[in-house]
Amino acid sequence: MAQMKKNSLLWRLRNFVLTLAAVLFVVYVFLPCFTSSFDVLQRMSDSLEKNGIDPSRYYYTDVEQVKEAELYLDSIFKKTNNTGD
Amino acid sequence: MAQLLHYCLARGPNKVPMSRDYNYILPQEGFMANADGKIVADHGQSRWSDLWTKEDYLAIWLGFLVIAVCLVAYFGFGPKKEFAQKINAAVQIQKTEEARAPFKTIAWYKADAAKKLKGSSSSAFGKFISHWTKHPGSWKSNPMDAFVRTEAQAQAMNQKAMPAYEEARAQAEETLAAAMSAEKAAEAGGFQDQTLNDAAKAKIADWRAAEKKASSLKSKIGNKPYNYIPTLIGLCVFMIIFFGIGNKFMGKSTTEFAVGFLIVFLVAVLAYMLGGQSISKQYGIGAEAWGVVLGMIIANTLGTPKWVLPACQVEFFIKTGLVLLGAEVLFSKIMSIGIPGIFVAWIVTPIVLVSTYIFGQLVLKIPSKTLNIVICADMSVCGTSAAIATAAACRAKKEELTLSIGLSLVFTAIMMIAMPAFIKAVGMPEILGGAWMGGTIDATGAVAAAGAFLGDKALYVAATIKMIQNVMIGVTAFCVALYWTLKVEQEGEQKRAVGAGEIWHRFPKFVLGFLAASILFSFLDSSIGKEMSSALIDQGAVRGGTRLLRGWFFALSFAAIGLSTNFRELAKYFKGGKPLILYVCGQSLNLVLTLTMAYIMFYLVFPEITAKI
Repeated sequence: MAQMKKNSLLWRLRNFVLTLAAVLFVVYVFLPCFTSSFDVLQRMSDSLEKNGIDPSRYYYTDVEQVKEAELYLDSIFKKTNNTGD
Repeated sequence: MAQLLHYCLARGPNKVPMSRDYNYILPQEGFMANADGKIVADHGQSRWSDLWTKEDYLAIWLGFLVIAVCLVAYFGFGPKKEFAQKINAAVQIQKTEEARAPFKTIAWYKADAAKKLKGSSSSAFGKFISHWTKHPGSWKSNPMDAFVRTEAQAQAMNQKAMPAYEEARAQAEETLAAAMSAEKAAEAGGFQDQTLNDAAKAKIADWRAAEKKASSLKSKIGNKPYNYIPTLIGLCVFMIIFFGIGNKFMGKSTTEFAVGFLIVFLVAVLAYMLGGQSISKQYGIGAEAWGVVLGMIIANTLGTPKWVLPACQVEFFIKTGLVLLGAEVLFSKIMSIGIPGIFVAWIVTPIVLVSTYIFGQLVLKIPSKTLNIVICADMSVCGTSAAIATAAACRAKKEELTLSIGLSLVFTAIMMIAMPAFIKAVGMPEILGGAWMGGTIDATGAVAAAGAFLGDKALYVAATIKMIQNVMIGVTAFCVALYWTLKVEQEGEQKRAVGAGEIWHRFPKFVLGFLAASILFSFLDSSIGKEMSSALIDQGAVRGGTRLLRGWFFALSFAAIGLSTNFRELAKYFKGGKPLILYVCGQSLNLVLTLTMAYIMFYLVFPEITAKI
């Protein structure tokens, strides 16, 4: 009887809602509060927002700043004929 | 209504059907039995029909179909002639300026900027594919902002950003005027007066900094209204057809795939939406992580409906995505920061990978070799992308991939915050700190973030080192596939000679497609000139083509992983905490070796390179 109850649609829906709510709470309520509670984290958050950096991106072609870095280093290492810089 | 809902959520006796068909390990063919009927060995044989019926080959054909379309679109119908004219004109100006002045003049920099062309925004194909592959965007407090932005909202955002942009633009114009004046003064002295030359260089540097700030603020006043819902529907239909073709050739039901794919795609879309929230992004929790989490919540509470499972084709999505990822693995990138970069990224990494694997096998005695190698690759190479490639190459279970990426996410978030703070606290030089972070923090985005916290030079060095490591995944996947085919899969079997044919049969073919794409694009990259390559390949066929679909394919695969993963199965792999111990020990070794190598290369062996940066 208890097993049937556990498998019932309502029970599963309840578990789904509770689990999803818990995860969403951690990410969208706890993390922002945690970030704003520490000055260094808030500054880092503002810096990421300002520079448009997305830390969740995992490959270099997804991150614009890698292209900027490439261009900067290319201009540094490029051999020019008469330039001293 | 309740009955309809119950039907839709109908599932088997277990909460998540754990059919082996949806596990990561592919069923082997051609098992032979000994006299008592027990399975002893795999004597698989390749057939010609494998070319159009096997998943690996179909992933290669579909991947190369996308690659071919992108290359033809940009090289055949793109603005190649127009770009060549602009690049040549800019090069001529630069040569003239180099002959005229002993430093890079304003005209030189303007010509340099004129060479930075983007094929994706200059061609009809680029605009088309960018429009139709759009995923839910960023949002702060209203999730609907990820899908729809009205004209009024766009205008409000532009108006809010306008004062800062106008100020930056005015500053850029002011510094330009000052730079032009200083350059004229230096020119009047025939560029012989070093004081005037230095003053001109300083003013030009000020102008460039102001121009860079104005350019970055310009994007904040260019917000346009959008509605991604129609394009998401269109993209879903396209993917059903695209992967449906593969299913048809594999002898699977296209209808069953199409019906189930609606849910997988919906989960991927929701994952993009959840991962687009600003705080979620900042802690590294992107679409891929949300796909697994959301999928697992559905699978382990409501239960994944049986009719969804035919579309949970994790391997197929990942292999096709990896073939496209091959196009982004350009070997010319490894020389971006010279020999120090190669030593930090390509010498330390394999040492850490192999050492940690041996540690995991001999000391920790991790039962699963595939879990061991996936965690090692994830931690030592470049995070999620390396984990995906390695897992596919050694046929790891999806739970192993999930666990590995989960560990990486947690430590990436910690290291992204802790490392810059530590580097600043101990007074480590920016370049050394950047190289250290680039070689150790797993995700490229997190590396950029950590570098930016430290300073511009740290950002440039960190991002470049990480890019060089990213290029390593092709070699890693190939070597792992080879090692697994030749050595690991032979272990435990009765000793017998294994012919080349059987090795070929067992070898994961999609790795060859991955490498072939990499070799093709690397060849094109090195043969058409740096500026043209940047415009047509990097900012064209890749960022305006293959990458857009690659992102979606990986998002789909993670959603599919989540929908077909059982919590209890996942928890089994974490028993004893060995994966965590492996990651921590391996990352500790990585931190020590990378810092040591970076110091030796950047400060002892090649200090002149460091001085230039």
